[in-house]
Amino acid sequence: MSGRRGGNRIRGPQSALTDFLAANNISAQQIRDDYERRRRESEQDAQAAGEGSSTAVQDDAEEVAAAVAAAEEAAEAAAENTRKRKRNEKEAIEKIKKGKAKKQKKGKKADSDDEDGDYDDGLGKEMYSKSRPAPGQFEHCEICNKRFTVTPYSKDGPDGGLVCTPCGKELAKDAKAEKKAVAKKPAGRKRRKIESDRLDGVLHNGSKTLQQLCIEKVAKHHDDIEEFGDMPQSILDRLGEIFAKKRVLNPRTLKLFLRPDLDGVAVHDAAYLEVEDYEQMFAVSPHVRKVVLRNACQLKDAGVEYMLEKCDNLEYIQLYAANLVTEEAWYKLFQRYNEKLKAVKLQWLDAAFEDEAVEEMVRSCPNLERVKFKLCRRLGQDTLAHLSQLKHLKHLSLQIKNPVESDALISVIQSVGHNLQTLSLETFLDADDAVLQSIHDNCTNLSKLRFTENDTATDAGFTALFTDWKNPPLTFVDANSTRDVDNNNPHGPDDPIGLASNGFKALMAHSGSTLQHLDIASCRHISGSAFIDVFNGSTIYPALETLNLSFCNVVDQHIVAGIFKSCPALKKITAFGCFYVLDVVVPRGVALIGVPKAQDAIEQIGVGVDVEGALGLMREIAAF
Amino acid sequence: MATQKEYVTLISNDGFEFKVQRSSACISGAIKRMLDPNNGFAESTTNICRFENINGIVLEKVCEYFYYNEKHKDAKDVPDMDIPAELCLELLMAADYLNGLGTLSRGAAAEATQHGPRQRGRVPISNEARP
Repeated sequence: MSGRRGGNRIRGPQSALTDFLAANNISAQQIRDDYERRRRESEQDAQAAGEGSSTAVQDDAEEVAAAVAAAEEAAEAAAENTRKRKRNEKEAIEKIKKGKAKKQKKGKKADSDDEDGDYDDGLGKEMYSKSRPAPGQFEHCEICNKRFTVTPYSKDGPDGGLVCTPCGKELAKDAKAEKKAVAKKPAGRKRRKIESDRLDGVLHNGSKTLQQLCIEKVAKHHDDIEEFGDMPQSILDRLGEIFAKKRVLNPRTLKLFLRPDLDGVAVHDAAYLEVEDYEQMFAVSPHVRKVVLRNACQLKDAGVEYMLEKCDNLEYIQLYAANLVTEEAWYKLFQRYNEKLKAVKLQWLDAAFEDEAVEEMVRSCPNLERVKFKLCRRLGQDTLAHLSQLKHLKHLSLQIKNPVESDALISVIQSVGHNLQTLSLETFLDADDAVLQSIHDNCTNLSKLRFTENDTATDAGFTALFTDWKNPPLTFVDANSTRDVDNNNPHGPDDPIGLASNGFKALMAHSGSTLQHLDIASCRHISGSAFIDVFNGSTIYPALETLNLSFCNVVDQHIVAGIFKSCPALKKITAFGCFYVLDVVVPRGVALIGVPKAQDAIEQIGVGVDVEGALGLMREIAAF
Repeated sequence: MATQKEYVTLISNDGFEFKVQRSSACISGAIKRMLDPNNGFAESTTNICRFENINGIVLEKVCEYFYYNEKHKDAKDVPDMDIPAELCLELLMAADYLNGLGTLSRGAAAEATQHGPRQRGRVPISNEARP
């Protein structure tokens, strides 16, 4: 073919490869044509499919490889192969490859034609605008019309001319401000914020309250506020909470919250406050009865002593992370307020506060009604012995990291249990059934019970606790993470450990009528049938509002539907790690959090459908 | 006796009058109680509430909130109402006075249960009957 075509034509110089291929009846032209045709086709295909150029490039590579292979085959077939020829061949292939690359580049350029058009426009504009005067020349500022010396740094004005240095600075400032205004938070963050608020239970359906809106606005403009004026205490407290949350509660804004007539100071994040701020606080409001200082990491002995000096009426002390306060200062504090002190809540004390300080507290302040020690590292078993001498204790919350034997807990419960309204025992790993039994025997006034993170007490113990208990029904129960922990035996022993089926049934039978908050997260040994028995749809739990069943992995949509039916007051179910909860229709006014369905929001809020409607819809879904 | 008119009049201390839908205005606990015939306040017969401690600008914003709240009753992801910074403290006081605009926030709700409904907002401004 090539011979025929070539014969009628005057040819210019040809490459060695073409010659060689022609000799073997192979036309380089034909290969190229074929290749070009296929390339065009594939390009069209790619365009039609709306794909990128990556596939085309791949095709190109394949074509080249194919062409090369063909050429090489032919070359092998040829009898005489000199080294020179081979080199020529390689060169030719290189050439082909280079040609391809160039073509691709060209193609890309063609794609970016639009941009070129823009460039042209810009060019046109530039051509029509005034030519920029060289540095060193004089020019009139476009804004203020002053004469100034042009420098390489002179800024362009809005109409294309130059502006003087002061005007240029102004312009730069404006531009920056504008940029800031334009650079809004990405939409994703806002959405995440909303979801996160929901998880915190902050967000409700519908609009926020006017108070909430105003308080947020106030917190936003905290810098411009001179004083709050005659704000009622409740709003002031709320503002204090929000200020702390937004981390704007600093020495300046603290002054807004201090008034001599107030009887409480609540700083929920005191991390920014320094020594003199504490002194000012107690100097301005010496009549405080209640002091709440959380993250009081800069509160020193001097601050405490100033408080002892100024404030006479203190009844309620809540200090978190006050680690610069020494042992002596704690002693003095308890001795100063002795019989007046009603409540002491301390958290996150590492450096000081030993068992002896508790001893001093009990000795000096016999009228304490509320005691909370959490994460105080130096406290141990002796603390319990001291606490058991408090006769008026009503609320006791303890979380002690050091090992504590059951007997110590039992002796506390025996001596103070009959008065207690709140009992919170967190992370007492060794507490066993005997502790539960002593709660059963001694506590008859509890409304809030927390017994968490324990793998010693058994289901039988919980069952015994809630069976025939003289205590009136509870309103708050938290038994999360009471379960057996053994990786090799995930279902636990035959006699279940922690709150399991029987204990759960007994608990709901005892407290179901008044229970408002129930947390049974990670109580893994509660069986599905126990859940179905408890939330059977006909037994009603009229007060239950929040329910946490996270990681109770037997829970499925039938159980959740039963919960919807049995709990008319329900507001929030937390169900992280409940993987069998599928296709739930959430009734109006209820928030279901944590159900893993990738395509949905992590939280589902019921809109529009009431309980019956939701159950009907769920039945329909199940029928498919 | 036209006690249950659809619209009620709110009057500010500087004499501005706002006529708003009764159902919207009644999200305010105070206004609701003032207009409740069972409580027998003059406001329930005249359908006029006079606020001696709220000025026109703030009351206008309050009325705006009534309708904003009504509009977004069951909506999800409601955009915040625009409140001018200079008004927010006064508005906050007014909101507190008018008691419970919309569903109570958590803190406020907890407080309400502790102390019972706040008494301040319940006292009618004036008991004398107006023609």
